[in-house]
Amino acid sequence: MMNAETQEVRLPDIGEGVVEGELVRWLVKIGDKVLADQAVAEVMTDKATVEVPSPIAGTVKELKVKEGDTVPIETVMLLVQKELGQSTKPQSPETKSVQTKPIEPQEKKIVATAAPVASEINPPVADTKVLATPSTRRLAREMGIDINQVNGTGLVGRVTREDVLKNNLIKEVISHPKSAMESKIPPSNTTSFVYKNQNFGSSLVEEKVPLRGVRKKIAENMQNSKHTIPHFTLVEEAQVTELVKLRAQAKEQAEKRGVKITYLPFVIKALLATVREFPMFNASIDDSAAEIIYKKYYHVGFAADTPNGLMVPVIKFADQKTLLELSHEIQELAQKARAGKLALDEMRGATITVTNIGSVAGLYATPIINHPEVAILGMYKIQDRPVWKENSFVRAQVMNFSMTCDHRLIDGAVAANFMKAFVNRLENPSVLMLDMI
Amino acid sequence: MEFDVCVIGAGPGGYVAAIRAAQLGKKTVIVERESLGGVCLNVGCIPSKALIVASHFYSRMQHDAAVMGFEIKAPVKINAEKLQSWKQSVVEKMTGGIAQLLKANGVTVIAGEAQFTTPTQLEVKTTVSHSTPAKTEIIKAKNYIVATGSRPIEIPGFKIDETQVLSSSGALALKKLPKKIIVVGGGYIGLEIGTLMAKLGVEIEVVEAGNQLLSGVADPDCVQVVTKNLNKLGVKIHYNAKAVEYKKTSNGLEVSIQINNQVQKISGEKILLTVGRRPNSDGLNLKNIGVQLDEKGFVKVNPQRKTNLQGIYAIGDIACQPMLAHKASYEGILAAEVIAGKNRVYDPKTVPAVIFVDPEIASAGWTEAECKLHGHTDLKVGKFPFAANGRAVSLMETNGLVKIIADAKTNIVLGVHIAGPEASQLISEAVLGIEMGARLEDLAGSIHPHPTLSETLMEAAEATLGHAIHIYQKPRSHA
Repeated sequence: MMNAETQEVRLPDIGEGVVEGELVRWLVKIGDKVLADQAVAEVMTDKATVEVPSPIAGTVKELKVKEGDTVPIETVMLLVQKELGQSTKPQSPETKSVQTKPIEPQEKKIVATAAPVASEINPPVADTKVLATPSTRRLAREMGIDINQVNGTGLVGRVTREDVLKNNLIKEVISHPKSAMESKIPPSNTTSFVYKNQNFGSSLVEEKVPLRGVRKKIAENMQNSKHTIPHFTLVEEAQVTELVKLRAQAKEQAEKRGVKITYLPFVIKALLATVREFPMFNASIDDSAAEIIYKKYYHVGFAADTPNGLMVPVIKFADQKTLLELSHEIQELAQKARAGKLALDEMRGATITVTNIGSVAGLYATPIINHPEVAILGMYKIQDRPVWKENSFVRAQVMNFSMTCDHRLIDGAVAANFMKAFVNRLENPSVLMLDMI
Repeated sequence: MEFDVCVIGAGPGGYVAAIRAAQLGKKTVIVERESLGGVCLNVGCIPSKALIVASHFYSRMQHDAAVMGFEIKAPVKINAEKLQSWKQSVVEKMTGGIAQLLKANGVTVIAGEAQFTTPTQLEVKTTVSHSTPAKTEIIKAKNYIVATGSRPIEIPGFKIDETQVLSSSGALALKKLPKKIIVVGGGYIGLEIGTLMAKLGVEIEVVEAGNQLLSGVADPDCVQVVTKNLNKLGVKIHYNAKAVEYKKTSNGLEVSIQINNQVQKISGEKILLTVGRRPNSDGLNLKNIGVQLDEKGFVKVNPQRKTNLQGIYAIGDIACQPMLAHKASYEGILAAEVIAGKNRVYDPKTVPAVIFVDPEIASAGWTEAECKLHGHTDLKVGKFPFAANGRAVSLMETNGLVKIIADAKTNIVLGVHIAGPEASQLISEAVLGIEMGARLEDLAGSIHPHPTLSETLMEAAEATLGHAIHIYQKPRSHA
């Protein structure tokens, strides 16, 4: 037990395999009075930014780490002196979960699923054949990695801690449509270059910022994807006048049910209906095994721009969901992404990705595929344009789409046929309806 | 009363679960109808160990002391009543510790008999004591951990009354040593108590249904060591024998046993019935609220110890084999952490087992037969005798061996079986080794302190590799 007077506040185990975080800023200073559960610091991990709460009410006595420091979990961050005469429940510091810890959704999930005996445990229990120490098995579990699938590089096939950590890196590859990167980075985050020639002699002013956290992860993933996949991009326009009408009607109806419907769910529906015809778009290449893996399930990732950088939440089994359900889920996931509260599980497992940067700017872009997926669909702004129809120009709503493919698996002609079928569905919602769940 | 977690049963599974749940910030209550600590602390593991230590001490005074040069002029006498009160003081120290820990962690403790009224509500008839009258408490908890343990099985014709037919609990509470005990069931509980009684001078006759003792729970080589020693202690063993009935006669009890369709009569003063234990899953109204049980009466659980009902967990003896305290504690921590939202599963590579017979038996991992069942057909097996260990010789406890089984291709250790002095203490090294995926070379290459019993593990690993130092092994090859 602690000293009765002061309590150490540690960086809690954030879960999800996070081992350290960077102290972004202190929310309190020495001498401040804090309440139990009050956030005292903001820590950025490679997953999200989290707030560290004080486990007790009291006065901040000492700050043990500096802003910008990298803090391993369980490090003492500050000392809080207990309020005298105040009854504090005997709780250990670890009882306070970090606010943004994805424990909440997990806990809900556990309660919500009626636990069938011998139900699916995710990830599955380690087989007796797997050679890994108890701590490594736990690490893999907390990272959501099925240790049975990890290739052990240790002596006689032991799965080492490094094997698990490396596996996690591969799993979290996040796609990166370039334009999204440039869109809405908050001004505070942008490095302020001083360009004007202010007669500083010939010295060029530079500012060095460590590449860390989410940014570092994005950088690694993008590099890996571009390095591995020979990309090509096909661009097409679709006359979506009918779709615009349909969506306007649907929007009105959905709003009554508290859901905001955007174009994204319609696009996802058209995409998946087309992917069923062209299974190579919902596949991946296992380089080490020299195998193509055709996936018979459809998890759609969608790029979300967040203050921390690009995130790609995943709608699982998107093909089995109604427009309303899709809309609801998109709304929820996007909100979580912006708040940095996405659980790792919600960002993994996509089989194909959509990037939607149309609302900002850009005729079209050349996005980067979310490796190991093999295709990424880009959707862009809807614009009024004159269209030559039956001997006259008429006003039509036109939307650009791009399809970026992994040329190792998908040839140009296939992509063109795919695009044609896809655009046909969007231009004629009645065709789209034929495949609707 | 409303809680986040309600634990039912305060044995080594339940109280551990309650403490961990409280550590994780859950508002926790624990309900116990008898005593904190459950069977383990009150009438099982701990009191039996106290008596076993005493019996061993006594036996050594009888036999080894003279060899070492002690001249004990008068015979050493046993005061069974004093022995009991010392044993009880050991028990109370331990249970008192649990009460303090629960309190310190802010766990509410309720003494009483619990019953589910719905899958989310519990009714507790509290135990009457001088300070509290009986009343009924209603508990509502978001999660329940059922840890109500097990009880001895009875067989037809033998009803446990704790005067003539004893369970382990009764046998461990005898204030007067009987002249002779007939032990029905040669499993580990019967043999632990039978051995300690034999060492205290009680005549023992064992009725075993199978063709060997400790069948299915210990390595055959280890069983052989113990069986030999039982013979030396004068314990009579009937194999393939079925206890049919017993009756009271003028000079004690007469038990009819059937061997190959022939009925024999054996007599003794008491009967100790240790034919196994069954889960207490018939209580608590579990069935009526819809908790699924398997055909043996265990509550069906998944690797997170969830039952089929949402928010109800089951751990320990009631959940599955092996019925061992340390497994229950592991599950208690597991269930509490799962409730707190952590991703945990039951995934140990081995649950060690210890049997406090003479010498002790301890094992971790698989027997040879189990290795083969798991697909390891090519095995290396090596043994090292305690007789070649200096420390064992100086302890005058040279009976027994360490046996190691490894995969012949990888040298990964698959099983370690020890019969010998302090086997129960030595086995933890093997547990760690197996959990870490150790190879024979890892055990052999770790320096073990001299002179200790633990050197036998290092030597057994060397022996399995074919080149132990302190026993002669023919060189395998000079390639």
